[in-house]
Amino acid sequence: MFENVIIGQYLPGRSFLHHMDPRAKIAAVLFLIIVIFLVNSWNGYALFGAVAIAIYFLSGVPFRYIRKGMFPVFILVILTFFLHAFFTREGDILFSVGMFSFYEEGIRQGLFISLRLLLLVYFTSLLTLTTSPIDLTDALEQMFSPLERFKFPAYDVAMMMSIAIRFIPTLLQETEKIIKAQTARGADFNKGSMRDRMQAFVSLLVPLFVRAFRRAEDLAYAMEARGYNGGEGRTKLRLLVWGWRDTLCCVLIAAFGVVLLFLRQ
Amino acid sequence: MERGKRLAIMIETAFMAALSFILGFLEFGGPWLAGGSISFIMVPIFLMAFRRGWKAGLATGFLAGMLQLLQGATIVHPVQLVLEYPIAYTVLGFAAIFTTHAVFRERIPYLLMLIGIVFGALLRYIDHFVSGVIWFGSYAPEGTPVVVYSALYNASYLIPQTIITVIILFVIAKYRPKFFDQPKWK
Repeated sequence: MFENVIIGQYLPGRSFLHHMDPRAKIAAVLFLIIVIFLVNSWNGYALFGAVAIAIYFLSGVPFRYIRKGMFPVFILVILTFFLHAFFTREGDILFSVGMFSFYEEGIRQGLFISLRLLLLVYFTSLLTLTTSPIDLTDALEQMFSPLERFKFPAYDVAMMMSIAIRFIPTLLQETEKIIKAQTARGADFNKGSMRDRMQAFVSLLVPLFVRAFRRAEDLAYAMEARGYNGGEGRTKLRLLVWGWRDTLCCVLIAAFGVVLLFLRQ
Repeated sequence: MERGKRLAIMIETAFMAALSFILGFLEFGGPWLAGGSISFIMVPIFLMAFRRGWKAGLATGFLAGMLQLLQGATIVHPVQLVLEYPIAYTVLGFAAIFTTHAVFRERIPYLLMLIGIVFGALLRYIDHFVSGVIWFGSYAPEGTPVVVYSALYNASYLIPQTIITVIILFVIAKYRPKFFDQPKWK
């Protein structure tokens, strides 16, 4: 049942991107996924593509992982391409197949939109491929910490997030154990009537919740006993360090945004 | 005392968000959707909302959505990123605004639970619907009935998912009412 479960996409490595500060990476990706909506010319897409290829070489991530990450949107890309190719009727007719005619503008729009989708998914999957969830959490905590002033508990949220990430593998093991135990008792999760399968799932969920609540209680006691009181003044085991790479990258990305503005038609 | 209780709720929230993430992989194949899948992703969020109140529910939903996002989400539009991951799950927590713990002490209020779950799911539906209209609208050519597509597509998996969630939560409430009884911090 859990054969396909991979927790997180992170691939450890020592590349330029891996060494970057997660805050810089998040900011850069957010910037890129917004400016890509400004691009509306071949030159713009060519430049964007060149940047994407350059970043690929900086990431050291094998291509097959990127392909895997982009696979889910492939159907969407093909669908949107054909939607545009069929339904946009502007410009010259390029060619006709039977009763369908393909217009220049339609093909152009279709290609632009497909490229945009692919690039969006590419940049966001590179972020999760080169940054561990814990680093992302730490970065988000710092980026949201100014909101503490408006009572948004950035610190608490980050703490809960780290605990959730830490305990996903543990709870996953527990889930597998309970599935096996209930299967041994005759529960069948894949076959049988709706009612039977529903019963099987209840026999999985109830013990799972019982154990999760118990574990949560134990952890809360343990933290309380060690004097945990959150927030202000706590030190960290892992510190985020902003280096020359990050400044350089932010400057380059910002410059790239300006160039894109000039390439607009 | 109060601090201890707050910590306990925070840890439970983290665990339920983690469980929601795990249950996302458990699929309940059904006859109604060709190739579609229904998961129990909403069960821990609603459970936490009824157990510890709507604020804890919102927090659990928010964390569950952020976990999905951090583990590598499919992002096709900046607005979709915000609407489809953190917000879609956070709003589920509002399911608990119709009930209080005093109600659960007496007996399990099935009707109020049903109203709450449907309300939460409806908010999530609206969120996915709007997000679908915005992002698909920005990709599809003009004149595509984006509104209809988004309405139908999102209903096609959310309605069965909500029905399953309601049944599972009712069964759990019947056999394990303790889950909903606010446990005291000793």
